[in-house]
Order: sequence, then structure tokens, then C-alpha cells
Amino acid sequence: MENEQPNIEQNTPDTPQSVQNIERLISNIEQVIKGKTKQIRLILTALIAGGHILMEDNPGTGKTVMAKTLAKSITGPQNGQALFKRIQFTPDLLPMDLIGSYIFDESNRDFIFKKGPLFCNVLLADEINRASPKVQSALLECMAEKQITVGETTFPLESLFFTMATQNPIEMEGTYPLPAAQLDRFYIKIHFGYVDDDTELQIYEQYLAIQHNQQAVQQVLSIEEILSLQKAAENVYIHPELLAAVRNIIAATRNNDEIILGASTRSGISFIKCLKAYALINARDYVTENDLQILTHPVLDHRILYRNREARAKLLYQILDNEMDRLSKLNLTRNDR
Amino acid sequence: MHIERAHSWKKLGVQCLLLALPTIFFAFVVLMKLNANFVILQNQWIYQGVYFSVGIMLSLVFYSWRFRFISTALVLALFYYIGYKILEQIAVGEFDMFFFSVQYLIFVFIFSIGWLVGFGFSRWRFFTVVWVLFLLAIEIIIVSKITTVTAGAIALGFIPVLLYTFYIIYTSELIRNLNEHQSSFRWYLTKRVSGFFGVIILIFAIIFYIFRKDFTNIESAWKKIESHYNDEHANSQRMTKVNRDGTLSNAGKMPLSGSLSKTKQLVFVAHLNNFFADGSTQNPLYFTADYYTTFDSASQTFATDTLRPFNDLFTPDPSQISLFFTKTDSTAIRNSLATKYRKVVEADVYKVALSPSDYLAPSTAFSVQPIPVPYEYTSQYTAAYHAKMWVSDLNSAYFVYNPAGNTMLEDFQRTRYDLLRQDSGYNGIDSAFLTYYTRMPQGKSYQQIRDLADTITSGDSTTIDKILAIRDYFLSKDEFGQPLFQYTDNPGEPGLPGANKLDYFLFTNRKGYCAYYAGATLFMLRALHIPSRIATGFLTVDRSSKNPGWYWFYEDQAHAWVQVFFKDYGWIDFDTTIPDVNTQQAPQPDGTPPLGSQKVSFVGDGTILKVDTVKKQLLLSINKILYKDKSFQTKQSPDIRLGIAFAKIFADTGEVNITALEQGMHITAASYDEKLSKIGFEKAADTAVSILSRLPQPVSIDEVKIIKEAKAAAPDKNTARSYLHGFNWLSILISIAIVALLLAILIILSPWLIWRFFHWRARKNLHFKQRAVLYLLNQMGYPRDFHSPEDFAQIIDKKFGTNLQLFTTVYQKEKYSHTPPGREQTEAAAATYKPFVKAVKAQIPWKKRVSLFLNFYHTLHFFIKNH
Repeated sequence: MENEQPNIEQNTPDTPQSVQNIERLISNIEQVIKGKTKQIRLILTALIAGGHILMEDNPGTGKTVMAKTLAKSITGPQNGQALFKRIQFTPDLLPMDLIGSYIFDESNRDFIFKKGPLFCNVLLADEINRASPKVQSALLECMAEKQITVGETTFPLESLFFTMATQNPIEMEGTYPLPAAQLDRFYIKIHFGYVDDDTELQIYEQYLAIQHNQQAVQQVLSIEEILSLQKAAENVYIHPELLAAVRNIIAATRNNDEIILGASTRSGISFIKCLKAYALINARDYVTENDLQILTHPVLDHRILYRNREARAKLLYQILDNEMDRLSKLNLTRNDR
Repeated sequence: MHIERAHSWKKLGVQCLLLALPTIFFAFVVLMKLNANFVILQNQWIYQGVYFSVGIMLSLVFYSWRFRFISTALVLALFYYIGYKILEQIAVGEFDMFFFSVQYLIFVFIFSIGWLVGFGFSRWRFFTVVWVLFLLAIEIIIVSKITTVTAGAIALGFIPVLLYTFYIIYTSELIRNLNEHQSSFRWYLTKRVSGFFGVIILIFAIIFYIFRKDFTNIESAWKKIESHYNDEHANSQRMTKVNRDGTLSNAGKMPLSGSLSKTKQLVFVAHLNNFFADGSTQNPLYFTADYYTTFDSASQTFATDTLRPFNDLFTPDPSQISLFFTKTDSTAIRNSLATKYRKVVEADVYKVALSPSDYLAPSTAFSVQPIPVPYEYTSQYTAAYHAKMWVSDLNSAYFVYNPAGNTMLEDFQRTRYDLLRQDSGYNGIDSAFLTYYTRMPQGKSYQQIRDLADTITSGDSTTIDKILAIRDYFLSKDEFGQPLFQYTDNPGEPGLPGANKLDYFLFTNRKGYCAYYAGATLFMLRALHIPSRIATGFLTVDRSSKNPGWYWFYEDQAHAWVQVFFKDYGWIDFDTTIPDVNTQQAPQPDGTPPLGSQKVSFVGDGTILKVDTVKKQLLLSINKILYKDKSFQTKQSPDIRLGIAFAKIFADTGEVNITALEQGMHITAASYDEKLSKIGFEKAADTAVSILSRLPQPVSIDEVKIIKEAKAAAPDKNTARSYLHGFNWLSILISIAIVALLLAILIILSPWLIWRFFHWRARKNLHFKQRAVLYLLNQMGYPRDFHSPEDFAQIIDKKFGTNLQLFTTVYQKEKYSHTPPGREQTEAAAATYKPFVKAVKAQIPWKKRVSLFLNFYHTLHFFIKNH
């Protein structure tokens, strides 16, 4: 950790600029999506941590708009905007429909590869649980590897590839729930939820202006900048005690009777990445208890298989609270003042 | 093998404190009650309480790990078995084995209950319900055992159980759900539990209300039985009473009641040197303790009266008189108003069960001298005294009962009756005296007695003839030749309560014991204007002529008889109680008389200055001495050294050890050493000091009698007794209450005290400031719970207008950043602490703050949430 200190300082001039951009990005999105600051921050955390996000909620809570706005806010190759693709998952969808296929070119008398919607910067995978497992696994593999192999050719995905998948919790018929191992690929799972009453009223009052905002989203962040932020996040300092806390939480999920399957080591790594990214979003070059408290649930909840509903509602909170209690009692102040 | 904990140490601590401790306390109370009712428990409730406590505590700790119950219970059973086998090896003899196994069984049983309760509290959610049902069942058993069935007693039995039930169910649910974060849950629980108990109390109330009639009936029936039971066992129904130290005295009053209980206990042995004119035939005299001169017609009870005129009762306390020193009261002789045919008679009384302070002697006694019990008899007799009496030649125990064929006795009776017939009546006697001793209650029923007395004595003119007529009336036979009167210890009661029992005795029942005969005689005599009184004491029975002059007195010889006053002759005993013909009295065995007193040569009386237990010597400050039967007083208090190596030391209760002697005690030391009497002695000139100076020191002492305990060391007999025979309930209750109160105050104050501690510690650094802030907010009803620190700070800032956000940011940086925040930042953050505390205090009114601090749940939640 000591060795990293120079790196951080090296990055420090870079950080304020990027952080400002993040703030601009957030305010940009907030013009369109009202009352979802926390969710926006979590989505950006996943983005900067280099992961993907799973949003679970009822239709009409702004998931698609969210994804679109995010894509529009990023400077990119397509009309000056980042490439945004949206796939509506259905049971008859095939992997080919995602990754693309070889098509016979009459003119060249050759098969050429027609890229599928996965070749984009921001992908919105709507209702991912309605597609067959075959399709799901194809998508998830791409998410993890950031490349697509068709036949003998490997096609790299865009340098910035961010998937926002949505899941519909109410329709259980004709769905293929994601297996735990695949859920693990999503860094963060968030519940969008309904906005509070005041915000809802505000949305109804200003829906025209909001729609207008949606059209006129400004690009505030380039793909390069995002990639550099992803690098900068790697260099955020995390205190050994917090690392221990992550370890303790992960271990606690494994040693609990009410939990069938605990969090994996990969989860822990994702967790740390998210913590660092979240700290960066909040303009810090160090992780705090606060980040731990906010991220534990979104990062870990979907990776754990609970025995029952009651455990799902309580257990992770209790494990976290335990750890927060421990941290809260730690006297880590360096000098008494 | 790694065994997981079922719950944390903290939760265990809370369980011990809030569940186990009250339960243990309650168990002690229940065990105490059970011990009072069941013999098998052998009154060792403290031990049993400890078994239970150990069981519950061990079990709580043990089951805070995830051990299974059945397997561990089997292991426990195995331990019990091994313990029993070991005990079997150790115990010697059948009785030991039986005793130990019962003890062990009790231990196993109670320990197991404790163990089970501990397990239940630890792991079994609904155990509390089972447990309180069990307690209720036990309480029902206890209540069914109590002798007094009153609403109060039953309520007293059940209310603590109900309160405990309420407490334990509520607390256990609360502890189980400490994780629950909403205070609404506590409300929910409180409402549920209170509702439940409301219903139970209502049911109880309804049951009491519906059955109140039966209940009051039962209650009154019980009261009746109880009062009967109490009467049966009251001392007043015996002729003697048992003193607190277990010795006997004559009762202070004599009610006429339905039955008399007697025992065969030996009370004292006496030598009376009163013989008939022939000089060899014993003339036994009754030993008088007191006189009953008044009668309460409402309770039908004869009683003593200390204000009687011409009191001739000599009442010294022999235990307070120094050995060999004499106390004499000549007013007794003067007040006896006797001049003719009187002589001085001496008696030696050796006490067995008689109270050390009692003095019994034939009337009229005037002198007492405590004497030592001869060495060979010290195990039989506690104390002895020598008494002198001014006795009438005409007095004798023989009156109703005359040994047939004894011409000497017949002559004696004839002579004395003749002498008494010449008595000149009561002219010239003090009228107050006459009025007092002829007083009797007025009324129709007593008029019957007067009429009867007139009828019986119609042909007689002299006092003695009237007495003889009354005696003959009691001995007379009816028309069928059957005795008119009978002696019985159980005459029964007249049907009407408060009826004149003497009427019932004289006219209806004609059965009774001495009190009836004496009472009836007294009233008949008084109706005839003959001054008379009832004497109480002991009947002197002449059983054998083996040891002339020696008499044995047993408890059933406690007696009452009439004394009649004759001018010039004084008070003379007349016992009109007829012999009991139905019960064949087994002859009482007479023992060997305690003969063999040695001649005393020196007696010293004084206060102990020093006790040397090694050399067995005493330093005595002398008040008075007895030398060659002459007593010398001294005011100079000379010191004298006494050798007590061979001395026997006596207290009121009998022989004691040398260690009983203490500085400051008043003792009398006697020596039988003949050498002492050989020193030169001039009766006229010598003083105590001069005699003492000539005595060879240390004076070898043979007997020491403790007159008075040292003041400081004197233990209060009452407290000593209450300590031995049951607990001083009040003091136990008070001490429990005080401890409970202190504990309660400590618990109530603890949240605030913890805050003061946090506040004091907060000056150190940001970390402790953060702890203090969190604690204060938690106590004020704002626990952080699932809010992240920054979100929480935001909420609090919004609520109180404080700057907690700045503080939190800087604190987090200080804590987790690789580069600490600047000095200025840190100071700015530290500076927000005091305004923060102030702002919180300002926002929450004083009264509310107090009530919030009193909320122990908040504190509990702060320290052990989520565990």
C-alpha cells in the first residue's frame, strides 16, 4: 500500500478534472431521471469499476431512459455519441441475434461477419430473464471476456463496454431466472423503485421539460475519460481494516445457516473494485465506512442464495451492521487531538 | 471440531443479567417456601438455591454454543451416575448411604431443573411459557399446603408468580428480538404481553368474584379451625408456662377452660424440713409460686394482682443473687399477719426445668440463699437455693386426701380443727383487707353460688367448719351412691360461650380439675365473707419415706388451691380438689436426692478484671465476701487473685466452660479449701480488706457462679433466638429491598453514566467524539442502524441544524485515508462537537431527555444490537 502512494499523487492532478466530469454526468442524467441520485451513483460505480449492472424492477420506472441518457452523455463514435444498443430479450431469441452472424456477401462471394448489437458501448439488455439460458450465457460470457469468438475468429468488443440488464420480478411465467453463477458477473444489482411522492408530482408537472431534456442531453464525458477514470479507480487507497471488513462480510455470508450459497472470492474482488470506484465518484482517493455501508447490499445481495425470504430481508443487513459496529469502535486515529 | 456459538457473549451476558438473575432470586423464594412445607427437602433452601443457580448459569453458558440438548443431557446423566457411584464408594454405613443418596437426589433434581431452565432460556423460544406453567403448578401446591386460607394469603402466593411470569415472558421476547430495529415492535410486544396478562388477571378477578361467597365461607371456617388449634396449644391452658429459654414457670393466670394438658417432666426437687410434732413424720407443704386474687368473669380467668394489700409474697430472683449470699425480706413475715403457732422452716430447692429466676417455697417465705449443686449432680440440676419460711404449725398438705389409718395424722387434723374453731372471727382486721379478699363478681349466676354456699354451710358457725362442709360437699355422694363430683382434666365447655363456667361446674357438669375446685371453693368462701385466695404452685406429694423430707415435683403437679385467712394464724392452705379416681396414677420414680454439700470456707463476690486462661487465674474486684458464715461489704473494691484450675463454673443454664468467663462479668467465687478457715479471725474487728490481705493468693476456688454477663458481651436473647429459630423476616426483606433499590438505581442511571463517560472520553480525539455522538443520538432515539455514516449525518443535520456532516467527513478521512486530513480540518471537525451536543440538548426538552436516558432499551440496543 505504501508503494502506491506516489501513484496516487501522480494521478491527483488528473482526478479533480475527471471527478468534475462525473459530477456533470450525474447532474446531466438527473435532468432526465428525477429522484434517483443513489441509483445513478451506483450505476456509475459499476461503470467506473469496469463491471456491469443488473436492474430489477417493474416496467416504467425509468430503466431504459436511464440507459439511453447515460449513453447519450458519453462522447463516442456514433454521431458524436457513445454507441447505444438495446435488446429486448424474448424466449425465442438466439445467441446469433446478439453477437451477429456470418452472412454470405453476394458481391465478394464470401461470408462476412455482420456484427450483432453487442458491439456497442452501452448495452441495454431488457428483461434478460426472459431469454433462454443459452442466450443468457452467451451474453454473460461476452460481458466477462470483453470479446466474442465466432467460429475461429475472435472479435474484441468496444474498449468501453457497459451492460445494463433489466429483470422483471413480477412475471415469473416463461422466464429463465439467471443462475447464481451468472448473476455473479454483474457487479451491482439495484432496485430502481418508485420515486417518492414529491418527486413524482414534480415529474408529472415537468414531464414536457423532462422529455425535452432527454432529447438535448449534452455529452460531458468521453470514452477515454471514462477509461482513465477506471484506471484512476484502481489506485484509490483502501485501508487494511476495510479490506478485512470486506473479508469478514464475505466470510460471514459463507458461515451462516440461513445462507445456502455465500459470496465468492470473485465477489470480494468486485466488491473492492466497486468500493474504489464509489470513493472516486465521491471525489475521494480513499475508501470509507460510508462506501462499505452503501455498497454491501447492491454488490453482494444478488450473489447470495438465501434459505428463505426472511433471511433475504434481514441477514445481509445484520452481517453488515456487525461489521460496521466493529469498524465504528476501531480507534484508527493517528494522533490524539 | 469447531463448534459455533448460538449467540454472542454479549447476548449471554444480557440473558444472565435479565433472565437468570431474577429467576434465581425467584427460585430461592420458591425453594424456601417448599422447604417450609416438605420435610424431604430438609430445610436447606440456601444450598438448593445454589444448586439451581449453578445449574442455570452453567447451562446458559454451555448452550450459548450450538450443543444439541438430547446428547448433552445424556452426558449429564452419565455424570450424575458417575457421581452417584463415587458417593457409594465414599459413604460408609447404611444410614450414611441413605442420607447421602437423598441429598444427592435432591441435588440432581434441582440442578437438572436449573440446567433445563438455562437451556430453555438460551435456545427454546417458548420455554418461558412452559417454565411459568411449572412455577404456577408449584405455587398451587404451596398454596394448598398453607394453613391459613385467606384471600390475602392466596394473593400473596400467586401475585409474585404472575409478576414474574409477566416479566420473564416480556424480557425473553425482548432479548430474542433485540435485532428488531423498529421501536414499533417493542410497542407491539408490550401490547401483546400486557393484553395477555390483563386477560389472566381479569379471569382471576372473575373467579374470585363468582366464588366470593364460597370463599368467605371457607375463610371463616378456616379461621375457626385455626383459633381452635391455637387455643389447644396455648400455654395458658396449662398450669405452667414454658419460658423462652425452655424452662418452666407457673402460669401468670389461670383460665377455666375445657381441657388441661400435662406432662411428666421433672421440674424441681426439694428438701423440706417440716415434720409433725413426732419429729419423724413428714408434713408436706405446697410450694407456692403466686396468688390469684382477682377474677375476670368475661374470660373466666383467675389472675395475679401485684397491688394486693398486705402482700406476703417473697419474689426474689435467685439467679441474680450471689452464691451463698442471702436475701431476706421481713415484710413478708409482717404482712402474713400470723403470730400464733408459727415457726421457721427451711427448704432446699434443686431446679431441673424450673426457670433460673423462679423462686418457689411454701408460704410464707422470707429468705433465699443460692447454693451450689453438689458436684456429682451438676448434670441433673441447673441451680439450687436454700429458702426459709415462716410456716404455721397448723398447715399441711393433708386435707381432702387423708391417709387412712394413720392415727397420728388423724390426731393432727382433729387438733388443728379444734384450734381453728376457737378462732375469734375477723374483728379488728383491716377492712380494706377484708373487702379485697372477699370480693366476688355480682350477678345472677354468682348468686346461685352464694345460695349454694349458704345451703351447704347452714349448720356451721366457724370458718373451719364451713371449709370442711364445702370439702365434704365435693366428696359427697348422690342418691344412687355415686360420687357427686369427679376429677377430670377435660371437663368440656358449657354450650354458651362466655357462660359462667363455675356455675356449669357446680350445677351441671360436676367435673373439673383443680382450677374448678379452687375457684368454686373460693367463691363459696368469699360468699360467706371468709377472706380467701387461690394459691398456685406445686402440689407436694409424699411418695416414699426412703429419703425423709425430700420431694419430687413433676410438671403435672402444678396446682391451684385455696388459702384461707385466720386471724392470728395467718394464711392456711386448703386443697379441695378431689382425688382423681378414674385415672390410676403411675407412681413417679423418685431419684437420689442431691446430698453432700461441702462446707464453704470463703466466698468472694465481685467483677472480673482480668481472665488468664493459660494460668487459669482470675483477677476479681471484690464487692463483698463471706467468711466463716459472716458477710462483709466493702466499698474499696480490693483486687484478689483467684486460682480457678479446679473450679466448676455455672451460669443460669448449667455448667459452662472457663472460656465463658469474660472481663466485666459479675461473679461469685466459692472455696471449700479448709486451709482458708485456719487463718486468724476476729469476728468483731476484721473487715473485708483485712481478711483478704491475709488470704494466701491465689485463692484456690472450687465454684464460680456467673451472676451477670458482661454488659458488652451480653447477647440479646431475643435476637439470638430469632437467629436460631427462623429468620428475621423484616430485616431480610429490608436488606433485599435496599439491594434491589441500589441495583435499580444503578441500572436506571447507567445510560446516563455511560453518556457521562463517553462525554468525558470525547475530549481525547475524533474517534471518541464520534462514539459519544453516536451514543448520544442513539439514546435520544436516533440510532444509526442501517444508515451510512454520511447519510446519517445528513439526516441529523437536517433535524438538529448541526454540522455533523463535516465532522463525519473529516473523521472518515482521518480514519481511512492514507494522507491524514490537515490540522485545520481536524480542528474544525473537533470544534463541531461541543456545539453539536448543545444543539441536541437544546432541541430535546429536559424532561424528554431524562425519560430518553431512562430508557434502558436504547442503551442495550447500542451495545448489543445485531448479535
